[in-house]
Amino acid sequence: MKFGAKNISENKPVAGPSAPSSLSVASEHQLDLQHQDDETLVAQTQKGDANAFDVLVVRYKERLYATIYHMTSNHEDTNDLLQDTFIKAFKSIDRFRGHSSFYTWVYRIAVNRTINFLKRRKNRNQYSLDDLESSIQTDPDLVEMMSHATPRREVSLTELQQKLNEALQKLSEPHRAVVTMHDVQGMTHADIAKVLKCSEGTVRSRLFYARQQLQGLLSDYL
Amino acid sequence: MDCKKAQRVFDDLSHDRLSPEDAVAIRQHLADCTDCRVLQQREARLQRLLALKRYERPAPQYFDNFLTEFHKRLSVELQPSVPWWDRMIGGIDEILSAESMQVWRYALASALGVTMIVGLMWTGVRDSDETNDGTAAFTANSSVALLSPIAAPSSTDLPADDQLATTDTQPVLMRGDAESATPQYVLDRISVTPASYDVASVHF
Repeated sequence: MKFGAKNISENKPVAGPSAPSSLSVASEHQLDLQHQDDETLVAQTQKGDANAFDVLVVRYKERLYATIYHMTSNHEDTNDLLQDTFIKAFKSIDRFRGHSSFYTWVYRIAVNRTINFLKRRKNRNQYSLDDLESSIQTDPDLVEMMSHATPRREVSLTELQQKLNEALQKLSEPHRAVVTMHDVQGMTHADIAKVLKCSEGTVRSRLFYARQQLQGLLSDYL
Repeated sequence: MDCKKAQRVFDDLSHDRLSPEDAVAIRQHLADCTDCRVLQQREARLQRLLALKRYERPAPQYFDNFLTEFHKRLSVELQPSVPWWDRMIGGIDEILSAESMQVWRYALASALGVTMIVGLMWTGVRDSDETNDGTAAFTANSSVALLSPIAAPSSTDLPADDQLATTDTQPVLMRGDAESATPQYVLDRISVTPASYDVASVHF
């Protein structure tokens, strides 16, 4: 059964932590869903099983959060955009034909919505940065960087984080998206091209110019 | 390998995405070319610096209520939209039903009633004026014609058919009626007989 918004609304009550559709209530069906692959979950969602979509949300929320956060440098905006992304995906899932993986599809929604948001928010950067994991202290790259005894490099990690985010926010939205996906998240050129629906050459070119700009902005740390 | 080509593949070199032959070629170039070597080292350091952003994480409890919030937002999104007039009426009703509006709502209702009555009256007066103005204008234009009735023509000087279109205030003479039918005039009832209607002054 294909379902429209109304059916989903009926199937999916406003759920508190104890609501039946919440994953915290580990019904057998929900546990079973958690072991399904994306294709099956998408098919289940398209048939009207809203719990299947919950599993997809849980599965990808952190990865998508990271992408959006690195582009916005603001975790309140990130939260809104992430919710919007999943709502948009849920409402459009009937139109998902499986030409790409679900992750690529939802990732594309997230990136496009974030780029549009950033264009509207232009020149109104408000940083609201996440915490740094304590394990960063032992990162070999950071240790190597800090080992160079130049006064400029004796900066606190918080300051370094601030500078990195400021530098990224100075890039254009498409350039920032490419740097985030490639240099922060480690995606390949081909995958980035799929998400942005452009050629690999365009991705390489954007990456090249973005890095040139970043080298100027972060020269004290290089 | 020239500098331009080498610089294009720095990224692939640092991610081990080059074929063994290309990797050897570019390493050879970097060993020989100081400019490219410096550029490549700066780019590699930049990539390592950017990769540190991976350590940024939201607070541990950040995602605790994520699904609940998602359900709430979704249910709001999927609610059918209320028409604007319903929202407007609802808003007015809400304002008027407030405790502080108990007195004002009677005043507002009275003001609305008075406004409607005045509006209706004004519309009625305007329509009436327009009708009267039209009649007066018509009368002014036709007064000469009314005071100067057309003498009944003889059969010989009857107007041609195409000249029979006269004003509504004047009787239309039909061919052959000239002598049999007496024309009727609006001013026939006026006691003062117009000179043109004096039988003695009429000469056939």
